[in-house]
Amino acid sequence: MIHATRELAVVAAVAALLASGEAVAQQIRAKAEVTCRPAPDVLEYDCTVTLTNARTRAPLPGVELTIGADMPSMPGAHSVAPVKTAPGAAPGTYQGRLALEMHGDWALSLNLAGPLRDRVVKVLRFEPDSVGEPAARTAPGRRPRH
Amino acid sequence: MDDYLVGVLSNIGVVSFVALSAYLLLLTGAISFGQQAFFAIGAYAAGVATALWGWPLAAALALGAAVSAAAAAAVGLPTLRLHGLYFAVATLAFAEMVRLLFELARYQVEIDGELVGPNGADGFRGIRYIFEHDLGPLQFLALIYGLLAAVLIGFMLMERSRLGVALRMVGEDEVLASLNGIAVARLKILAAGLAGALAGLGGGLYAHLTTYVEPRMFDVMLGVHSLAYGLIGGLGTAFGPLVGVLIDIGLLESIRPLAGYRMIVFGGLVALLLIARPRGLLDEAAVHWLQRAWRPRRRP
Amino acid sequence: MLDVADLVTAYGKIEALKGVSLRVESGRITCLLGPNGAGKTTLMMTIAGILQPRRGTVRLDGQELTGLTPARIVAQGVALVPENRLVFPQMSVHENLLAGAYQRRGRGEIASDVERMYARFPRLQERRAQLAGTLSGGEQQMLAVARALMSRPRVLLMDEPSLGLAPLVVAEIFRIVGELNRDGTTIFLVEQNAHMALQVAHHFYLMEQGRVTFSGTPGELAEDEVVQRAYLGARRAAG
Repeated sequence: MIHATRELAVVAAVAALLASGEAVAQQIRAKAEVTCRPAPDVLEYDCTVTLTNARTRAPLPGVELTIGADMPSMPGAHSVAPVKTAPGAAPGTYQGRLALEMHGDWALSLNLAGPLRDRVVKVLRFEPDSVGEPAARTAPGRRPRH
Repeated sequence: MDDYLVGVLSNIGVVSFVALSAYLLLLTGAISFGQQAFFAIGAYAAGVATALWGWPLAAALALGAAVSAAAAAAVGLPTLRLHGLYFAVATLAFAEMVRLLFELARYQVEIDGELVGPNGADGFRGIRYIFEHDLGPLQFLALIYGLLAAVLIGFMLMERSRLGVALRMVGEDEVLASLNGIAVARLKILAAGLAGALAGLGGGLYAHLTTYVEPRMFDVMLGVHSLAYGLIGGLGTAFGPLVGVLIDIGLLESIRPLAGYRMIVFGGLVALLLIARPRGLLDEAAVHWLQRAWRPRRRP
Repeated sequence: MLDVADLVTAYGKIEALKGVSLRVESGRITCLLGPNGAGKTTLMMTIAGILQPRRGTVRLDGQELTGLTPARIVAQGVALVPENRLVFPQMSVHENLLAGAYQRRGRGEIASDVERMYARFPRLQERRAQLAGTLSGGEQQMLAVARALMSRPRVLLMDEPSLGLAPLVVAEIFRIVGELNRDGTTIFLVEQNAHMALQVAHHFYLMEQGRVTFSGTPGELAEDEVVQRAYLGARRAAG
């Protein structure tokens, strides 16, 4: 196990190096609600995100929010480039248009930048004419084919 | 660097760990369709350690690697005498069992009014270490590639060592290896454990990269791909599987019109390559040729 | 030196060895002849520890080898050149030789042994950087012998070294066997090529259907009969 210990030692060393530059832990945790509906073009969807402070429930305006998407069934692959969102009418709401590669379940990663850095992941099922809960939740054990 | 590029590079780096894990076993002649299970175990263990127990990242990654190594060694023991298809099926069955267990496993703690922790098929979200500790995407990218470089250096040292030679001997012919004095059983368990640790380390990084994992991520698709990376990239050197990852994620990601058809393109590529070069692009003969071309030749 | 007593090895219910006893004397060439399916390879694999016997013992200079792992048996000084699986094809000739010295320590000694192998087998030196899988059959057989010798065995077991080789190459292999023996290596050889084997053997055994049916020196039995029994077995030869 000589090599395993060597690897672990390197893990520890590199991580410690990075950890030494850490800032104080952030206090605010973001909470997000996402609703999407099909846009006129196939595989495009208009999404509205509402961001709130998880603890106080106050809206979170002024965030630079991008939405990326990954297919959970193939980690690291099948990912869509993050799109920028624009602030909506109500404070703490953001709007963006997603262009996906195929229908099915997508894990949307809501990346918060600017004054607040965070990421919230929401899994939604994108059908040609509707967007709903992912298959994993509605039918446990059954998975969609890709 | 553009965020998307950083994301793609991070993905390539993380997937490389599980590709190297499958490659290490391929070196010993074992075709595992189950390395995704150790990726999953590493991801969940490391995620729980930081998100629920408040461990530092280094300790969490080490825990993920250690738990995965232990699980892999435990799987290695009963499958020791299985070969070829039987071993492949056994590892696949184990991996699916792990995935189903994660679909059932619930372990949640309330943090800031939100339930955090593995929640069965709904997944495990809120592994927010990099946000809580203000690690930027570039810093995390550096962490991934720093570890990957360390692992590659480890591989290069190993391939020149007695251990590396012994692994290749076992991979080529177990009986002949044992006739040369290699304790084959012990070596195979060691390889299984190391491969488990590699996959587990990758899983821990992946969980912290995406902040979210769910059991579906760890189905057989990932196992097939990680195996294919070594097979197309080549079994002659540890850089082989990295070439495989680059071809799949890097190349197909950069040719956007192909991206939606990645499985078809990738599957076709694997089929073609396995016909033309059964041991991948950088196979032993290629590596051998490169080494001879590189070094000044000794002439009598 | 190597003593095999009442060895029984079975594949499931079928006994391939039905109580084999024989002895390999130190410093000599002992041959085991017999037709296909007589159990010769099974005997070699059992001595080397790849197969576990159901009954009986294998001893080297009185030391029990039965039940040891193949790796431990190599450490005790028994090296087998197996039939058909001769070399590691994806490794270079040089790496194959080093593989044979896997259990040994001391780089200097190993390196000088490698040079000795190259001196004895000049063809291997010419091809030292080549992948072993690209060698001809005869060269692979030589490499396999050289690799086995790299473990510095007290007794060298060879399973059908002439298998599938051209007559000239077979003669070359047997010349090497004789040479190795003159240099002091104890050799236990399994062969179907009775003619060649009888030329080098000090002592030989005939094996038929899992049993030793003859033991003696090459002069003791007419070569015609040995050849017949070695290729066909006594029963069919008689009938």
